[in-house]
Amino acid sequence: MATHYCRPIFNKNSFSHIQRIICPSYLSTLPKLQIEDVQSSHEETRFKLSNPDAFEVKNMVKIKSLFEAGVHFGHTEGTLDERMKQYLYGNRLGHLIIDLNQTKKLLQQALNVTAHIAYRGGVILFLCQSPLNCLTVENCAKECGEFAHTRYWRDGMFTNSSRIFKAETRLPDLCIVLNTLSSTSKNNSGQHGVLTDAAKMLIPTIAIVDTDANPNIVTYPIPGNDDTPSAISLYCDLFKNIIKKAKAIRKEILNNNKI
Amino acid sequence: MMLMQRLFPNLVTNKLCSAKILTNFVLRCTYGLNNVGSDDPGVEIPEKKIVEEKTSLAMRAYLQRATQYNSFMDQQIHEYKIGKRHLANMMGVDPETFTQKDIDAAIGYLFPSGLYDPKARPLMRPPSEVFPPKKDAEFDESGRPFHVFFYTGKPNFYSILHNIATKLVELNKFEDSLRKNNILPDADKKLTSFGSQWLSKEDLEKKTVERLSDHEYKHFVVAIERLLNHACAYKLTEFISEYQKPMISTKSIVESSPVLYTKDGRAYVTVKDCPRKDARADVTVYYPGTGKLSINGKGIEFFDYIQAREQILFPLLFTDMIDKVDIEATVSGGGVSGKAGAIRFGISWCLCSFVDPEVVERMRIAGLLQKDYRRRERKKPGQARARRKFTWKKR
Repeated sequence: MATHYCRPIFNKNSFSHIQRIICPSYLSTLPKLQIEDVQSSHEETRFKLSNPDAFEVKNMVKIKSLFEAGVHFGHTEGTLDERMKQYLYGNRLGHLIIDLNQTKKLLQQALNVTAHIAYRGGVILFLCQSPLNCLTVENCAKECGEFAHTRYWRDGMFTNSSRIFKAETRLPDLCIVLNTLSSTSKNNSGQHGVLTDAAKMLIPTIAIVDTDANPNIVTYPIPGNDDTPSAISLYCDLFKNIIKKAKAIRKEILNNNKI
Repeated sequence: MMLMQRLFPNLVTNKLCSAKILTNFVLRCTYGLNNVGSDDPGVEIPEKKIVEEKTSLAMRAYLQRATQYNSFMDQQIHEYKIGKRHLANMMGVDPETFTQKDIDAAIGYLFPSGLYDPKARPLMRPPSEVFPPKKDAEFDESGRPFHVFFYTGKPNFYSILHNIATKLVELNKFEDSLRKNNILPDADKKLTSFGSQWLSKEDLEKKTVERLSDHEYKHFVVAIERLLNHACAYKLTEFISEYQKPMISTKSIVESSPVLYTKDGRAYVTVKDCPRKDARADVTVYYPGTGKLSINGKGIEFFDYIQAREQILFPLLFTDMIDKVDIEATVSGGGVSGKAGAIRFGISWCLCSFVDPEVVERMRIAGLLQKDYRRRERKKPGQARARRKFTWKKR
């Protein structure tokens, strides 16, 4: 079996690599700032933004539920994108298996980012290209009061937005792409067009990347199965819950500020 | 900082101000989300107070656009009113009672136009009809859109597709519950598309107020047909009929003219202004009759050509009424074939009142009741006639 190439790469890079991406050195050398306009009401509430796990995403993701939803199933061996090697656990009967330990960690990070953006009143756009899962994704966006685009991606939707929407438009602050690569789409070799467009407009992206996709173009890649409905509904539930939670906290704090 | 002050003395007036700019700049750097994902963020995430954004860039742009549009429309309405008064004065009528109909007539009189397309002729209409109304804002003060599918660019169309998909899932669940109890969906209640058709692309565009491509329309038809063909679709008759319209009844088009009676009790029908090319004919058919025919006071010999005579006789032979009716026709304008065609059309419509509905249907299918819209084709330069070319020899 061809497992030999997966483990060493994972061990070598592990999280120091991710740490480098997530927390560049130039940021950590900056002096700590004293923010004057911190409200006294903030200190009274239990919620602390400076807490790394302010929205308690750590408890939301469990390896068991990921496993049960089939998140670890990758595509066949031949379709592997070299850049996905670092996220692999191994290979079974010709199919690649994704390392759920890494998926869990990255999923938590992505959820945390989502929560922070939702807390600051950001606009979040859910995207999906597979017709099988598009209703799930649309319902998810509907339920958490955010936005969905699960249809054909027109080029220039972001880059030429004022022309397409016929007005000055606020673009989303975060794009959550639930399948990066669709085998049926011919243009851009199947990769979702939003990834390049969002990169051009400096919009962060969270994307589920399967073993055949390119994770390098995504701001917060999450290695995982992007075809199975059970996996998609698991991701949708997680994102929906965290957005709802962050919004509830936001509402509460805004109400407190008013009083 | 000193350098900055030297370079831009007007821009940065004191140290305090520039320090504020710098703080803001640094703040923004640390404010990035790059560090929120890790366990050790490196820098403290600032506990900055969150506030609800009241005026976003998008909202400001919209408000500006709206005020611009409103002032433009006010100007246009003002000009329209003045123009109306001028027109009324020119025509020597009271400006107060000058209606839109009078305006159209005055414009037609004062600016006669030979342009073929009515859209190209001069017009004066209320500005609300000329300039399309602007869309209302689709987002709130913070720039957050109202519609969940806003970013697709066609929110209304895609929400229709979303509703169809949701209904389909509901129906599947319902059918499953039926089958669990060993009940089969009622085959008699199954819906058919008989007698109705889906909204056309134009209708759907009007309904959604969005421009659709052919591909998108095809997508819609596939989706709604899948819903219609579902075994339990009878539960959703109301939803489906929103997107259906009745097939245009072919019979209702053929409305025969009213039958009148002469003093001696003979029934007759008159059809006026039957068109064919430049010819116009008024035809009266009397029933019962003996097969008398008069065209502009002459008989069938009004036409020299056999083909024209055949044209006149064709509806009579087709309905087998040739010796049962009398026909009086006056025809003017056009040439021989135009005159014959106009009379043929008039006779056909008159006969509709005296024959059975089945025969009328046969006449309709035979094309007797269809107006002939063909006109003379224009002559082209470099050619002898419309299609005929000049004689041409290589050498």
